[in-house]
Amino acid sequence: MIELDKVSKRYGKGTSIFTALDEVSFEVEDGATLAIIGKSGSGKSTLMHVMSGLDSPSSGSVIIDEQSLHSLSQKKMDAFRANDMGFIFQSFFIEPNQTCLQNVLLPLEVAKVERSSRKTKALEALTAVGLDDKATNLAVNLSGGQKQRLAIARAIANKPRILFADEPTGNLDSATGDMVIKLLFSLNADLGCTLIIVTHDKDLALQCQKQIQIKDGAVQKITRANKKADKVTS
Amino acid sequence: MYISDILRRSGRTLQSAKVRTLLTSLAIAVGTFSLTLTLAASNGAQSFVDQIITDNFDPAELIVASDDRVFGQGDASTPREYDPSFGTIASAAGAATQISRLTNEDLERIEQLDSVEQVRKNIVVNLQYLTRPDQPKYVGTISALNPYQSPELRAGSIPESLSNKQLLLPEAYVKALGFSDPQAAINETLTLNVLPSGGQIQQELARSENYQAAIEERLLTQEFTIVGVLAPPLTSQPGTELYLYGGAEDVAELNEITTRGTPNYQRYNAVFVRIAGGENAETLQAGQAEIRELGYVAQSVQDTQDFLNQIIAVLQGIVAGFAFIAIIASVFGIINTMYISVLQRTREIGLMKALGMHSRDIGRLFRFEAAWIGFLGGTIGSLLAVGLGVAINPWLSETIELGEGNYLLLFNWVEIVGLILALVVISILAGWLPSRKAAKLDPIVALRTE
Repeated sequence: MIELDKVSKRYGKGTSIFTALDEVSFEVEDGATLAIIGKSGSGKSTLMHVMSGLDSPSSGSVIIDEQSLHSLSQKKMDAFRANDMGFIFQSFFIEPNQTCLQNVLLPLEVAKVERSSRKTKALEALTAVGLDDKATNLAVNLSGGQKQRLAIARAIANKPRILFADEPTGNLDSATGDMVIKLLFSLNADLGCTLIIVTHDKDLALQCQKQIQIKDGAVQKITRANKKADKVTS
Repeated sequence: MYISDILRRSGRTLQSAKVRTLLTSLAIAVGTFSLTLTLAASNGAQSFVDQIITDNFDPAELIVASDDRVFGQGDASTPREYDPSFGTIASAAGAATQISRLTNEDLERIEQLDSVEQVRKNIVVNLQYLTRPDQPKYVGTISALNPYQSPELRAGSIPESLSNKQLLLPEAYVKALGFSDPQAAINETLTLNVLPSGGQIQQELARSENYQAAIEERLLTQEFTIVGVLAPPLTSQPGTELYLYGGAEDVAELNEITTRGTPNYQRYNAVFVRIAGGENAETLQAGQAEIRELGYVAQSVQDTQDFLNQIIAVLQGIVAGFAFIAIIASVFGIINTMYISVLQRTREIGLMKALGMHSRDIGRLFRFEAAWIGFLGGTIGSLLAVGLGVAINPWLSETIELGEGNYLLLFNWVEIVGLILALVVISILAGWLPSRKAAKLDPIVALRTE
């Protein structure tokens, strides 16, 4: 379970303070799918960064399995991200001059996964995204959709408990985007990982069990699938 | 991340930027190339000096003189009192230097020391000329064969001790004197002509109308039998390549003829003193101290060897200094390359941090990349130097007449490996600041970089 308790993030000092997140609170159950939606600059990505420990909140706390994420030492935080979190970015961030297999091996090396099982895990991840036949191909030669699938394979290689996807279809055409979305939801179902998608695509958000709408850094609306929106008081 | 994984990944990253890596490495390779050749030349020179010493000198012997100027030392700027034993030698710079010399009384004093086993005079006689019937006349020098020498022979043999006008002839004289081959010269007779000295003869020569004819009339001829033909010496003492060698008594007799009545008569620049048990360094040093106490200058072969090697080391240091400057200049290339790499890979650094890679490991990744560049540059430079050295060694050896089997460039693999390791360390230091920048990057900022 991920719990956010009055998480705020402010930048600047004195009179020039900018509030990126304003006392955001909500919960995400294990294995659930969550969409964080909002317009550009609303604070979606900042929220994802704070939830994943890449950024720290100015106040409030992120609690994962009853453990305050930001009270962890940097070393433990790194280990937590390496073992329990996976990331998918809009720009893929793959290493173009390395093979698909080498790209997927990166998080396994970072997490110090036993050498003997790394290749098997990486190939399993590539198989899961349908790129097993491209394992030895250089990533630079892949199409946009394949690159994002490769990024997904890299994110799931270590079987994370939480999968963050920041605008995963932002750089893809609609057909490829649909395919990637289907893949993400099927992985959520198969692996049982919590899927947190940051998007401004309402159709994509509607496919998640919970949607959190952010505006000016504050939660404007929390909606559960097939349920009415929760009333948010601020 | 395991160190081995970081090492592999850093190597792979460099492979994906081949041209940049190669160009940066080549800058280091230039310095390494020069340093490797410098070290090899120094090794070759030292080895050559060592071989000359070990092939020509008895390690139990000391070179003893009355004057430290014999060894190129002493104060040349202070006037010295006259000494009847004074003679003249040419200094290293070519200037004439007067030195006091040893007399027979000095040799007796030295011989009486308990530690001394033998005193050997280093007699070298310049002949007026040498020849044989119907052949041209050649200038020549004869010396007593050092019992420690074991020269290679082309023909004949060396008796236990050369005597009764026997001599060893350098191969270069074989054809010149009309022999078909070295074997043909064995047991043949060679005429050595020396000009007796002395005040009276000098006065007669000075008064003669035909100086050359007067010399010919007064020449004293001795016939020697050739018992061996010497192969061209690989590591002879420089300048002794064309020496004829005879028995100590015969050469002493020729010396007597050519020096009697002159200031050089029974005067010796230096002599060889064998110390009993001198093969042992401590015993040799004790003997050396004893001789010095008598007021003589005594140098061991080791001292001479050390002195020569010191000169080589100084020259080596100067050349190595320039090569080292080239390496330092190339270090800035590494720093520049690594900074560019950090800038180009900012988003990758952000991703690695997002995936949980420790800042320390990211720093290591970039330092290892710098280390690979250093390793590559070092390996390319040293291998090129070895390749060139192997290719030109025979030509160099022939050009500077080192003799067959002796090479100027001697490569020592331990030195080369040490040099490459040193370059790896220098490269890691060069990559320190860029790697620090990479390690300190904020992942959020890095991921947002366009």
